[in-house]
Amino acid sequence: MSKTERTLEEHELIQRIEGDGQGAFVESYDAEAEVMTINMGPVHPATHGVLRLFLELDGETVMDCKPMIGYLHTGMEKECEDQNWRGAVTIVTRMDYLAPFHNEHAYSRAVEKLLGIEVPPRGVYIRMLMSELNRLTSHLVQFGTQGLDMGAMSAMFYGFREREIITDFFEMVTGLRMNHGYIVPGGVWEDLPDGWQEQVANILDVMPGRLNEYQDLLSENPIFIERTRGVGTITAEECDTLGVTGPIARASGIDWDLRRDMPYEAYDELSFEVPTQEQGDVYARYQIRMAEMVQSVALLEQIVDQMPDGDYKNMDPKLTPPPRSELNRSMEAVIHHFKLVTQGYAVPKGESYFAVESPRGELGAFVVSDGGTSPYRCHVRDPSFYNLQSLPVMAKGGLIADLIACIASLDPIMGGVDR
Amino acid sequence: MRLEADDALDRVKGALGERVTDAHLNHGQVDVTVEPANLVEVLTILRDDIALGCRFFTFLSAVDRSTFNFDDDNEQGGLEVLVHLYSPEKIWHVNLHVPLDFDTPVCPSITGVFKGAEWHERETAEMFGIHFTDHPNLVTLYLSEDFEGHPMLKSFKLPARSYVKDWPGAKDPDEAAAGGR
Repeated sequence: MSKTERTLEEHELIQRIEGDGQGAFVESYDAEAEVMTINMGPVHPATHGVLRLFLELDGETVMDCKPMIGYLHTGMEKECEDQNWRGAVTIVTRMDYLAPFHNEHAYSRAVEKLLGIEVPPRGVYIRMLMSELNRLTSHLVQFGTQGLDMGAMSAMFYGFREREIITDFFEMVTGLRMNHGYIVPGGVWEDLPDGWQEQVANILDVMPGRLNEYQDLLSENPIFIERTRGVGTITAEECDTLGVTGPIARASGIDWDLRRDMPYEAYDELSFEVPTQEQGDVYARYQIRMAEMVQSVALLEQIVDQMPDGDYKNMDPKLTPPPRSELNRSMEAVIHHFKLVTQGYAVPKGESYFAVESPRGELGAFVVSDGGTSPYRCHVRDPSFYNLQSLPVMAKGGLIADLIACIASLDPIMGGVDR
Repeated sequence: MRLEADDALDRVKGALGERVTDAHLNHGQVDVTVEPANLVEVLTILRDDIALGCRFFTFLSAVDRSTFNFDDDNEQGGLEVLVHLYSPEKIWHVNLHVPLDFDTPVCPSITGVFKGAEWHERETAEMFGIHFTDHPNLVTLYLSEDFEGHPMLKSFKLPARSYVKDWPGAKDPDEAAAGGR
């Protein structure tokens, strides 16, 4: 008689979970070994989205942890194949929904590689401006949810207060607060509106002081330190074999940042530091993110100072719709406009991969073109997918409360994991 | 210690020799074609050879080239597994193409070389119908157990795209079936 069958007879609290069909994921309690198997999620306030964890517990101790994903799977990669090259931007931006600009950025650069075109300097700087602001909003959400999961609810309010100013700026520039579809192959869709300098200056005025406030709020908080120090450790070797990147890898001592080590756009013209820590625990990851926000503010100051004038996108009429004023005068402009709207542009045959440093790590896009007007295949390497794979390594042997801290420090975005 | 793309290509050709069927440059990255039987060996060499140093696993996925618009009309595409690696020390990328038999796609699992490929192979298996031999736990990742078909294959049509609704304003059945067009 198998273990499961015996416990089925002995205990009535056992409940079969629908949909797995394998019988392996049955909630049960083994009285002899005192081991309980239980589901956490898919809908649970501490799982940051529809993440389901299958836990094997000995009292409060996590013996095993199996992340089960797919609750948000919508087949976005398949959907890209039905869009034209410009339209697929609106799909990829919805994958990692806390870092929409980074998704668009990786995809657009991969397509530009195939097209063999250059982005004008102003377009490059606008892309960096939006990417770094996006890093701030993403890390602020992580700061807030990390605090919330540790019982420090005020962190949530502070984090979202600052995020609000920046999303207001996104709305001012792109018209949307999330999922902007702003960075497109060839540059960016619109130029920055009048008065953008004041808005960014306002953000840059406020942020350094607020970041110090957060340091006072959580970094020295004895309860927070007690909950996070030495919890959920992962070594550099484990990060490497699992493909973990970003703040989690840097907290384990891997000195790797794509912005510095494989510079794209104009990051090599700017000076910034890549913070690293050695401990690899939840507190180290928290500190890395705080330090990265300081670096992002420093980067933003340089970007605003050096913002060049000129075109914000590649003005090749075969790639970019003509300005409205042209349409009234030029027959050619009307033809170009018609072709772009009805068909889109064709991209030469080939395949390319391009990766950017998103707030969660290496976010790459792999695109294949067969010479047509829509992507033949578009695969996105989303960092959350890799980071989540490392959760069992962090959680095994810890307490359930530590598991909550681990999930918060991983900052998984299920839209990116499931795509 | 950045390795230039041309040097990287020479080194790959030197180190892998007969094990690869093709190696060329593509947008500054090395593209290599490997038969499934040699895949694990090739990956181990790429990872462990100090002169190559491709120890970072980027992603594993697949492409269904059955409807690909080839230059040569006689060329027929099939399924291809892709493995992308790069070297953090020498900063160069390599992309491995593993052509598979379209009707019985079987590929050896690379989880023994890169542990992080486990979820990737599960995803690729359910999306493209590729069987990865020696995978520790080849069950579905995203889809439910009873899902029929492999969604990322070109032959799998999205219901929302393939079905055109009858046009309600049509006067005869033919016109209605064509959606009014």
